[in-house]
Amino acid sequence: MMLQVVVSPPQKLGAGPLGTRVIAPITSGTFEGPRLRGKILGGGDWTLSRSDAVLELDLRITLETDDGALISMTSFGLRHGPPEVLAALARGESVDPSTYYFRTAPRFETSAPKYEFLNRLVAIASGNRLPTGPIYTINEIL
Amino acid sequence: MSTLEDEGKRPTDITSRPLMTVKVIAAPPQKLGAVPYGVRTFVPVAGGDFEGPRLRGKVLPGGGDWLLLRSDGVLELDLRITLETDDHALIYMTFQGLRHGPPDVISAFSRGEVVDPARYYFRTVPKFETSAEAYAFLNRIVTVGVGETRPDGAVHRIDEIL
Repeated sequence: MMLQVVVSPPQKLGAGPLGTRVIAPITSGTFEGPRLRGKILGGGDWTLSRSDAVLELDLRITLETDDGALISMTSFGLRHGPPEVLAALARGESVDPSTYYFRTAPRFETSAPKYEFLNRLVAIASGNRLPTGPIYTINEIL
Repeated sequence: MSTLEDEGKRPTDITSRPLMTVKVIAAPPQKLGAVPYGVRTFVPVAGGDFEGPRLRGKVLPGGGDWLLLRSDGVLELDLRITLETDDHALIYMTFQGLRHGPPDVISAFSRGEVVDPARYYFRTVPKFETSAEAYAFLNRIVTVGVGETRPDGAVHRIDEIL
């Protein structure tokens, strides 16, 4: 599926023992794929900028399908690239996603029988950071 | 998907390339039984080896896999091991993963039999940490493993997500 996330202004916690922590609240968004579609209820991404210039992503959001099922989604990911590309992203510019690395491994939890297949799969996503928030292309690993 | 694509936000392709194959030799499992999350079994790692185009070496004894059999019959894997390359760099490897399959396959595993890996789902997401300059690329990649259960442990074919 494709998942488009809309983020609110980030909460910049500054330099902690693990790196620079920025929390991006997620207020809304949509997702759509052959087997599920709906909207994002909310959540956030607890990002950590490491000392090796890699941004670690730790996303937790709730999805609501168009037929009313709730799905918890978490994902661990990494984002890095050339300094000028990262600077353009930081300025909120749209950048060709092929110029940087932005990959995540989402996991899902649901109690809805129709979507139970999500509890049993491993997935990989490719991200594209847009000014409003990232858009993820999520593939099931078969 | 058409709506999002119509807005000019084309999906980004996901491709991969082989990273390495890791063979893990297990020591006798420690069966902790039914805990609040499911049935917990700890499988200590006695050793093993790994080989790929860019790295090769051995699995050091001392790690393990903290298995959890969930109520829906899915086995969750949570592995922590240390790899030592042939040029003596240490790499900390962890993964979380899922294994499930038809009941006859799962009972064959408990009898120590080898089952065609196409008959079950065994996928993991390995992560790496190293301070060795030659292997620092491992700190920056997302990877996926395809696992095979063997009587003496497991084999993981790991691909780098490009």
